Amino acid sequence: MNGETELIIKNLRKTFGKNKVINGIDFKLEEGERVVILGPSGSGKSTFLRCLNWMEEPTSGEIFFDGQLVTGKNIRKVRQNIGMVFQHFNLINNLTVMENLVLAPIKLKMMKRERAERRTKELLRHIGLSSKANSYPASLSGGQKQRIAIIRAMMLSPEVLLFDEPTSALDPESIGDVLSIIRELADNGMTIMIVTHEISFAKEIASRIVFIDKGKIIEEGSPEQFFSSPKTPRVKEFLDKVL
Amino acid sequence: MNNFFNKIVELFSTPEYIDSLLHGFLLTMQIAYFALLIGIFLGTIIALVDVAKPSKWLAIPKFICRIYTTVIRGTPMALQLFIMFFVIFAIKGFPSIITAIIAFGLNSAAYTAEVIRGGILSVDPGQTEAGLALGLSRLTIFFKIVAPQAIKNIIPALGNEIITVIKETAIVSMVGMYDLNMAAKDIGSGQNMASYIVPMFTAALFYLATIYLITFIVKKIEKSLRKSDLRAENK
Ligand SMILES: Nc1ncnc2c1ncn2[C@@H]1O[C@H](COP(=O)(O)OP(=O)(O)OP(=O)(O)O)[C@@H](O)[C@H]1O
Ligand SMILES: [Mg+2]
Repeated sequence: MNGETELIIKNLRKTFGKNKVINGIDFKLEEGERVVILGPSGSGKSTFLRCLNWMEEPTSGEIFFDGQLVTGKNIRKVRQNIGMVFQHFNLINNLTVMENLVLAPIKLKMMKRERAERRTKELLRHIGLSSKANSYPASLSGGQKQRIAIIRAMMLSPEVLLFDEPTSALDPESIGDVLSIIRELADNGMTIMIVTHEISFAKEIASRIVFIDKGKIIEEGSPEQFFSSPKTPRVKEFLDKVL
Repeated sequence: MNNFFNKIVELFSTPEYIDSLLHGFLLTMQIAYFALLIGIFLGTIIALVDVAKPSKWLAIPKFICRIYTTVIRGTPMALQLFIMFFVIFAIKGFPSIITAIIAFGLNSAAYTAEVIRGGILSVDPGQTEAGLALGLSRLTIFFKIVAPQAIKNIIPALGNEIITVIKETAIVSMVGMYDLNMAAKDIGSGQNMASYIVPMFTAALFYLATIYLITFIVKKIEKSLRKSDLRAENK
């Protein structure tokens, strides 16, 4: 946590056909920050997050990662440093848990197979799923899949982790397991951006809350300030509904 | 009835007849086999062009592929065969088997392309996204993630296409080629046999047996592919 800037976003815009989804977002992400993104459904939270690693190519605007302008040319390198965890886990169905985890580090020549497998075993043991190394995703529960998806992202030792509603597709029992892993990552100083509807978790983990409405950041601040004294009527209305 | 059995005995005891049927069968299988090779090869290319991420240099190929499949699928196979025989390859001495293989190959390519395209598109886009988010290349994602999953959807439909092509080749008898279908007609109309029923039913059995065998093999492949889906803790 030496306060280095990870991401700088300048005037980001994204349209799908005529639908203007992100309408000029300026944003900075510092190392070690834990940013929680809140906002009503359809406001563009996912799209914003997905623009950061170019899962959606921005229509206009600039993204700087580690001071470098992100382009179609360097995007693969950038993605190796910005991990992403999806709502629906997206484990590779035709690969075992082990192969899911070692695929990227081996293909990207970051580790030899032997080392990647050793690291996989360590991480699996850490989350208590050692016995699942040779299972296929189809035989795992949602919570198990998501925990594996998180360590899969961690295999590349990214600088930033993006989470898009990581617990929304889970049953209440597995939510806790997944949240505690995210909490642990946060405690270890990981830079995190997370879209979530788990308000109490947001309060607990966030170092900063960002509220998006209609493709714009309309309010941001520390969790204390955001939840206890929101500035805009839109946020007050939102908080009345969710709290 | 007695006559019927006599005819069966006659068919199977006359080497000439057996020879005709086997020759016909061989031609049918040759046309189908090579046509399917062309079809799968070309169909795969068309499908890949079609599902590839749109870009400047792919715009025209994509357009051509669309037109191609639309035209092929929108016109009768028999007409395509006639066009090949009487227009495009209306060259004296040009081997008719080649013409037929090309006609069926080009036709099958359009259908195979749809099968492969459908198979690829039915793979959850989240699978590709997972690969992209890890920084993998499009090529790696295709070969390690998308293709193995697409194959599972493709195999059954491809089996149907193989069966369709084998049966459809029977129309080459319309341009005078001596395939299995034609052999049956030829034997039946001959002076000695003077009965269609026995040779035609025999030809039907040839087709049936072949198609049954293919169905069996496809089912086997399907099953073994599906097994790896749920194969759990044992490895
Ligand atoms: N790939 C896409 N193609 C077309 N439109 C899209 C696409 N992705 C998102 N949109 C549109 O963009 C808008 C914002 O969607 P987005 O998923 O970013 O919202 P969200 O804030 O994440 O909502 P939720 O809380 O429901 O997940 C919606 O109107 C959606 O229909
Ligand atoms: Mg969303």
